[in-house]
Amino acid sequence: MKIIDKIITSSLLKSPWILHFNSGACNGCDIEIVDALTPRYDIERFGIVLKATPRHADVLVVSGPVTRQQAKRLKTIYEQMPDPKFVMAVGACGCSGGVFQGCYSVVPGVHNIIPVSVYVPGCPVRPEAIIDGVVKMIKSVEDASK
Amino acid sequence: MSEFAKEEKIKAGLEAKFPGVVTNASVQRKNRVWAEAATEKLPEVLEWLKAEGFIYLSTITGFDEGENFGAFYHLSGHGMVASIKVKTPKTNPALPSVLPVFPVATSYERELEDMFGIKVQGLPPGRRYPLPDDFPTDQYPLRKDWTDANLPAWDAPAKEAK
Amino acid sequence: MSKITIPLGPQHPALKEPENFMLVLEGEQITGATVNLGYNHRGMEKVAESRTYIQNLYLIERVCGICSHSHTTTYITNVEELAKAEVPQRALAIRTLIAELERVHSHLLWLGVAGYEMGYETLFMYTWRDREQVLDCLELLSGNRVHYSINTIGGVRRDITAEQKAAVLKRIKYLEERTQYYIKIATQETTLLARTMNVAKLPPDIAVKYGAVGPTARASGIKIDVRKDEPYLIYDKLDFKMITHDTCDVFGRVVVRALELVESYKMINQILNNLPEGPIAVKIPMKLAPGEAVNHYEAPRGEDIHYLKSNGTDKPERLKVRAPTMANLQSVAYMMEGGWLADVPLAIAAIDPCMSCTDRAVVWDAKKGKKTTYAWEDLRKLGIEHYRKRGVDFTKL
Repeated sequence: MKIIDKIITSSLLKSPWILHFNSGACNGCDIEIVDALTPRYDIERFGIVLKATPRHADVLVVSGPVTRQQAKRLKTIYEQMPDPKFVMAVGACGCSGGVFQGCYSVVPGVHNIIPVSVYVPGCPVRPEAIIDGVVKMIKSVEDASK
Repeated sequence: MSEFAKEEKIKAGLEAKFPGVVTNASVQRKNRVWAEAATEKLPEVLEWLKAEGFIYLSTITGFDEGENFGAFYHLSGHGMVASIKVKTPKTNPALPSVLPVFPVATSYERELEDMFGIKVQGLPPGRRYPLPDDFPTDQYPLRKDWTDANLPAWDAPAKEAK
Repeated sequence: MSKITIPLGPQHPALKEPENFMLVLEGEQITGATVNLGYNHRGMEKVAESRTYIQNLYLIERVCGICSHSHTTTYITNVEELAKAEVPQRALAIRTLIAELERVHSHLLWLGVAGYEMGYETLFMYTWRDREQVLDCLELLSGNRVHYSINTIGGVRRDITAEQKAAVLKRIKYLEERTQYYIKIATQETTLLARTMNVAKLPPDIAVKYGAVGPTARASGIKIDVRKDEPYLIYDKLDFKMITHDTCDVFGRVVVRALELVESYKMINQILNNLPEGPIAVKIPMKLAPGEAVNHYEAPRGEDIHYLKSNGTDKPERLKVRAPTMANLQSVAYMMEGGWLADVPLAIAAIDPCMSCTDRAVVWDAKKGKKTTYAWEDLRKLGIEHYRKRGVDFTKL
């Protein structure tokens, strides 16, 4: 691996920066994602930082079943993220559309729009599961880079 | 004295003030008055109810019923909910706007247009609601005969809006 | 002074909810504002017509994660009314308990979000840490922190044991003390007062004209609260005050919510100490005779109203949901006009917007003239910086 790749991978492993995108969710997952920042779970101690723009993010955390209106935006945001990038589909809705499968205004599941690296189920997803998802994702990157 | 005195008063008032216009007025239970009104007199009926204390237009429920489309206008006040039903034929569905009486009605009326294809006369032009911008303008999801079979894929190029 | 149009969004304070506001600026003052909605439209009302009443219970719950109990309770009240069912008192009491716990979690959430918007991050961290206590209570009683699904058709799904009651009461006692601290901050902390007093004013007649509900309306002195106007569940048996304030601004909205927390704790104590005996549910047939019902409920954000029409089958003919934020959004445009750009995030946050309840579509509109795109985060920082220059600095707290 080139030196620059090693640096990028190592900084991602040590401190993944996330961008949270709500693709039409009911907010259940969103409040649990924000909850992960708050004192009881405190993901910042793991180096995980919530960013506001895709250009600074390593991991795109997507909640929601992906409504039609949000689908194009989701794709655009993904394309704006620099490589290497990962996508975490959060909640039953993010994985498969959840309870909104069959709704005309929903493209069920994030993987229909962009490639997903980690699926974290739950309705809503627990903050511990989010942390677990990030850890598993980091581990898989670590293993792949060996 | 009936246990539904204040509800009966509203019902009686509607019938007295709008003979022939308001039909099927009933007190369904405590705090609930239902009535049907002639479409063209809808704004006046709502104006009267507003003066009687129903100061909030809580929402407008559009519906598809047999040969007609229509809507319920749910007004609240005094802890009561008055639901006024108006119908319009499917062959040419149109309802008068109630914006002069309730400025809050904009989004609810846009919803009638977007979801049922009911033309709301007097509604100023504006962004559609609630459907996404690229949703076909000639498909009305809440109509009973609509299915998503003819809905283009989410990433299909948008057709020219009407 | 050039006119700048700013499409704001679709990002919501802290929770990243999709919505969009179009602002017309002259310099730093807002001369025009329109609210455009809709990224959350999922098409639930249509799909509800092809699901059974019990399936719809779980669908309706997910209209909104923050006030899910409001939606299921209003829906189930309609179903039970159409079935002419007599729901046991114990079930109604448990529903009320969960309703008030939901109000507590929602108001604490909001206090944190409002703090975050002002730059008062400590308040955000404190309130959300304390909110975990409420989530623990809800998880204890229902099995889940969010989307508790305590309702079933005819009553509730789970009963309360003596141990659970004791655990909840203990946590509420802790929260009562913490809330006194928040009330003190809300009413005395000068930096907070500077950001909230006289911001986003909404006079009472305009509030009624634009249909504002809930704490937004009560902060303008309007006495409306479905729990008092048409007591549902067991609110007619509970002793609590309707909280109103007369400053008509963001400060009023902070105070109303903080004091409502105190009333909710009172109610939670009353309910737990007086739980009626009896069954927790009655059986209801799968098919409902044809009929119509409309019911409303005081959600944390205001009046939530549902209409339900049955047609003799086990699926609804028509289901309509109007959540409170829909009613409050019309007032926001009014509140922003004439104000400063720096106050926009707080003005919007103050109505406690729950866009997913409102599930509507958004706009990307390039108006004539200069177009600038601000992400929410930029605007939030602008607001904090604007006030820091004028001596309002939360980082010292």
